[in-house]
Amino acid sequence: MKRTVLDYALKIRLPLTLFVVAISFVLTFYFSRAERDSVGYKPEQPIKFSHKLHAGQMAIDCQYCHIGVTKERQAIIPSVNICMNCHTISRKDKPEIIKLTKYYNDGNIIPWKRIHKIPEYAYFNHSVHINKGIDCESCHGDVKEMEVVEQVKPFTMTACLDCHRQPEKNLPYLKKVKLGPEYCSACHR
Amino acid sequence: MNDSSPKGMGSQKSSDKKELWKSLNDYNSDPDVLKFKHDEFVEGVTEDFDPSKLSGISRRKFLALLSASAALTATACTNYRDKGEIIPYNKRPEEIFPGVANYYASTCNGCGQACGILIKTREGRPIKVDGNPDHPINKGKICAKGQASILDLYDPERLKAPRFNRNDISWKSVDENIITALNEAQRDRKEIAIVTDRITSPTTKKILDDFVSKYPNTKIYSHSLVNDEQRRQACLESYGTTEYPSIKFEEANVILALDADFLGNEGNYIENMRKFTAKREVVGKTDFNRLYVAEGRMSATGMMADYRVSISPSMQYEFVMALINELTKSGSTISLDSNVKSKIEKYSNSFFNKIDKEKISHLVDDLNTNRGKAIVYAGDTLPKEVHIAVNLLNEILGNTVLYDYTSLSKSLINQSTKEEISILIDSMKNGKVGTVIHFDSNPVYILPGDYGYTSALKNVNAVVTLTEAENETSTVSNYTLPINHAFESWGDANTCSKVYSLQQPVISPIFNTRQKETVLLTWISGDANSYKEDLYHQYLMNNFNATVFVKKNTFADAKTFWYSALHDGVVLLNEPSQQNKFNLTAFNSIKELADGNGFTLHLTESYYVGDGKFSNNGWLQETPHPVTKITWDNYAAISPKLAKQLNVEMNDLVSIGVGKTNLELPVLVQPGMDNKTINIELGYGRTVIGDIGKEVGFNSVLLMSKEFSLSPYIYKNATIKKFDGTHKLVSTQEHHSLDDTFVKDFHRTRKIIQEGTVEKYKKEPNFLHEEKEKLVGITREHQYTGLKWAMAIDLNKCTSCSACITSCNVENNVPVVGKDQVERGREMQWMRIDRYYSGTPDEPIVSNQPMLCQHCDNAPCENVCPVNATNHSPDGLNQMAYNRCVGTRYCSNNCPYKVRRFNFFNFRDHFADAYYENDLTSLVHNPEVTVRSRGVMEKCTFCVQRIMEARSNAARDGKTLKGSDVVTACQQACPTNAITFGDANDPNSDVAKLREHNLSYHVLEELYIKPNVTYIAKLRNTHSEEI
Repeated sequence: MKRTVLDYALKIRLPLTLFVVAISFVLTFYFSRAERDSVGYKPEQPIKFSHKLHAGQMAIDCQYCHIGVTKERQAIIPSVNICMNCHTISRKDKPEIIKLTKYYNDGNIIPWKRIHKIPEYAYFNHSVHINKGIDCESCHGDVKEMEVVEQVKPFTMTACLDCHRQPEKNLPYLKKVKLGPEYCSACHR
Repeated sequence: MNDSSPKGMGSQKSSDKKELWKSLNDYNSDPDVLKFKHDEFVEGVTEDFDPSKLSGISRRKFLALLSASAALTATACTNYRDKGEIIPYNKRPEEIFPGVANYYASTCNGCGQACGILIKTREGRPIKVDGNPDHPINKGKICAKGQASILDLYDPERLKAPRFNRNDISWKSVDENIITALNEAQRDRKEIAIVTDRITSPTTKKILDDFVSKYPNTKIYSHSLVNDEQRRQACLESYGTTEYPSIKFEEANVILALDADFLGNEGNYIENMRKFTAKREVVGKTDFNRLYVAEGRMSATGMMADYRVSISPSMQYEFVMALINELTKSGSTISLDSNVKSKIEKYSNSFFNKIDKEKISHLVDDLNTNRGKAIVYAGDTLPKEVHIAVNLLNEILGNTVLYDYTSLSKSLINQSTKEEISILIDSMKNGKVGTVIHFDSNPVYILPGDYGYTSALKNVNAVVTLTEAENETSTVSNYTLPINHAFESWGDANTCSKVYSLQQPVISPIFNTRQKETVLLTWISGDANSYKEDLYHQYLMNNFNATVFVKKNTFADAKTFWYSALHDGVVLLNEPSQQNKFNLTAFNSIKELADGNGFTLHLTESYYVGDGKFSNNGWLQETPHPVTKITWDNYAAISPKLAKQLNVEMNDLVSIGVGKTNLELPVLVQPGMDNKTINIELGYGRTVIGDIGKEVGFNSVLLMSKEFSLSPYIYKNATIKKFDGTHKLVSTQEHHSLDDTFVKDFHRTRKIIQEGTVEKYKKEPNFLHEEKEKLVGITREHQYTGLKWAMAIDLNKCTSCSACITSCNVENNVPVVGKDQVERGREMQWMRIDRYYSGTPDEPIVSNQPMLCQHCDNAPCENVCPVNATNHSPDGLNQMAYNRCVGTRYCSNNCPYKVRRFNFFNFRDHFADAYYENDLTSLVHNPEVTVRSRGVMEKCTFCVQRIMEARSNAARDGKTLKGSDVVTACQQACPTNAITFGDANDPNSDVAKLREHNLSYHVLEELYIKPNVTYIAKLRNTHSEEI
């Protein structure tokens, strides 16, 4: 039988195209995983605040600044007046603190770049997790060692459910741990 | 019954009428209705819905774009997505925690009742209003108008800056010009008129007094469209004071309401409802009151009646006199003189034959046997003469012990009489008035046309209108001055003698507006530079110290007392008052009222838009009328018999004439109406208002006249005739209708409404469940070991006031869809109150039933969802994951209760050309609830956001979550506490007890879908065991 153009298209060209598309999809999917999940996201902040210095070396408790974390849904990025509790006195001559003082005195807000974010249709609650004894590090990584904060774990539904389903594996430091809820309205409403 | 009905109803005789019917068409087995009930959606629900019209991108193009962008992403995937910024406070106010709500006590300004409210704010913006539990009158509850008033704060059509002759002008020049004008008027000995609505604030009254002492030519006029002036005048003549006592409905065994909608929108109906339903309690009690209603229209109170007779409002006088005559035969508590006797003897009991002999004989017996424990209550719209007669009747029966003299209804500034207003208008015409100040009032709209107010205004030099938004009056004024919304204002109120309540701002003024009292204070000072934002705040504090603090005699200093009063929102006063003796000459000198020959026109206040104040509030326009379920309109309600006589149907236009004025409006055939009465609601047909309220309904104020013979709201000898054309009225009732007729003849009737009488219940407490059968399911039973959420609704207490519906709208970000969408059955309210009629069209018995998602254990909607977007939680919630939903609408199709709502559009940008999609109105959204978009199904969630908040609070405090920790929005709003919510698995919880109550039942129980909303069957307190 005579080969037709159609045969060529169906037998060679189409499978080849599909193969290339599939391979490139798989590769892109695999290599862009971290970016899509924002793992490694490390934006430059308006003030070069070092968690390593404050939380690590000086061992200031997370809750000294993130005051909402045991009380409500949001951990809360500290308002400028909390920074000024110390910095009205300490290190007033450093360039970053001068910047901070200027923000404070002018009554301006500091546009901190957002690092961790879950979709708006999901309602995560910090206080429930912290009050059950879960460490900040379990989700946010070892912030105490970070000069510039970056996201170290994916904040996806898979990540949430992984921990909710196997808390004993993901949170080995907890002596007594219950399964996390898995039903929709636990997060979505 | 119609043979064409689909499921073989042919076995029934054609003369048989239905037991329960939802509308007159239903009663008459209209084939359209049968088809309607058979079909899932209203015909046309998907018409002119063409997604391709909504966006310019076709599906193919979209896919192409998608793949192109995917390719782009793949090449450029080295970059992270920007996630925006987090903006913390600079100096965080101590009391504000981002993400945690603050509550402030304040006072509602929606009507003249001044209920105490709690305003919930998030990050400084108000998002919800509820009643203040510390307020002794409304006790934590608030009506639909109060609930929805928050939308007015974020109304983009509010005035943003002061205007002079339609041009923007600065406040400073306004103050300078007006102070000059006031001084000129004073110099030229011209009158300065201040026209206000009802004044409820003693401090505002003091400022008005100050204004008069600064500018002595000033006169204050107070006029509101719907007022209780007839009652006050009657009280003045009978007892020598205009302050009338509230009624202890909670102690009355028998209540006779004469055209009185005391459970609907008269007096403080929130308080009345609570007191009334105190004797409708079925848990551990059967001590019911008995409500008789004699009225011309069908009101919300009429729906609650145990016995209802229809009688024209113009016949009420004769009715009361006949009752007095009949009841004095068995003695009187006060001594009556011969004048009284000769006056009442003219009215014999043969009058009762005109109404309903049997019901009236029950009424007379009940009033006789319950002397001192009954109350006769006349409506605000009835003429003064009827009120005086009713006062006498209560005196004769010794019912005055039910008057609560500790709680008098105060009148700070009396309503101006028609003579006073006429004199003002004459002076205006003669150029004797220099300045008119409309102090948050709209006289051009609310004054009857025959006053000629608008034309008289032209002869006034300076017309000043202080208002929140443009209205009919502001367009004919020189100066239009924007004032703060109530939530931006300071204030106080003293409408009830035992309560003084404070109002505080919860947000700083959004626009360049000023507090109305501060504006006056600036003018009083005579210096435009004296304006300071806190002028009135200081004035209020000083006045509070001088009038309230000194009386209270506390140990606290003035400042502490002020702050504690502000925190509580109320200060209780105990001003002693005593009962005055009834003045018999008041009764002897009243003029005899006779019924007219023609029709009687009865004008009543709209339930939800009030006197037109809330016309621009979409939530209220879309709240269905409690009786007719009509939204976005008013109409002439007439009886079925009259409609037949006139050969008109619903939507046909009729022309109503009173004197020389005529108004054409559509007809609504209302079962139970008196055949000679036409009822029209006031507050519609605004012409100068925002996009929402413009030309909604018909302006029935045009039919009012200053020359009324009975009362401003009742006109004898009205005419009605058919008029060409129709106007489509849109109701929510026939949508989502529940099927009850198909199964009527099955041996187990599908009882959606189950009712009994008190007599029957006393004899056989278990009468509802006598023929219970074991139901079998085909699915695996779920086990609920922990908490299980459930609701119980006591139908004995539901008055259909719709506070629950509006509360739900505000809490759950329910959008407004507009009239044309309601017509297509696309309304989005998660809750509705179904109204069923039984009996005959002349004497219908009405049953109400709030209907919401029943959170069935074996939910039929869950099985059919192809993407598992709706499923069950372990604590018994039927949950809806919006981000999973693909919009097949299978769930809605399979829901037997028809409580699921589909977003046919992105209603926020579709309604009235993106009316709600603006930066301002979106501030009203509750941040704890997702704002749903097009293509998503939604429904009641049992306020899951509140459950989750309670859960996290319990975890924070180291407690176990209890059912009583959660209060749903509808439950919180319900003025009668008809709604109970909690843990069904906790045997001590209220809801578990109600589930086990003898009167409890589930709607469509036989489907074995095990709903978790339990209804408590309504008991009627009639003399028989049958309804």
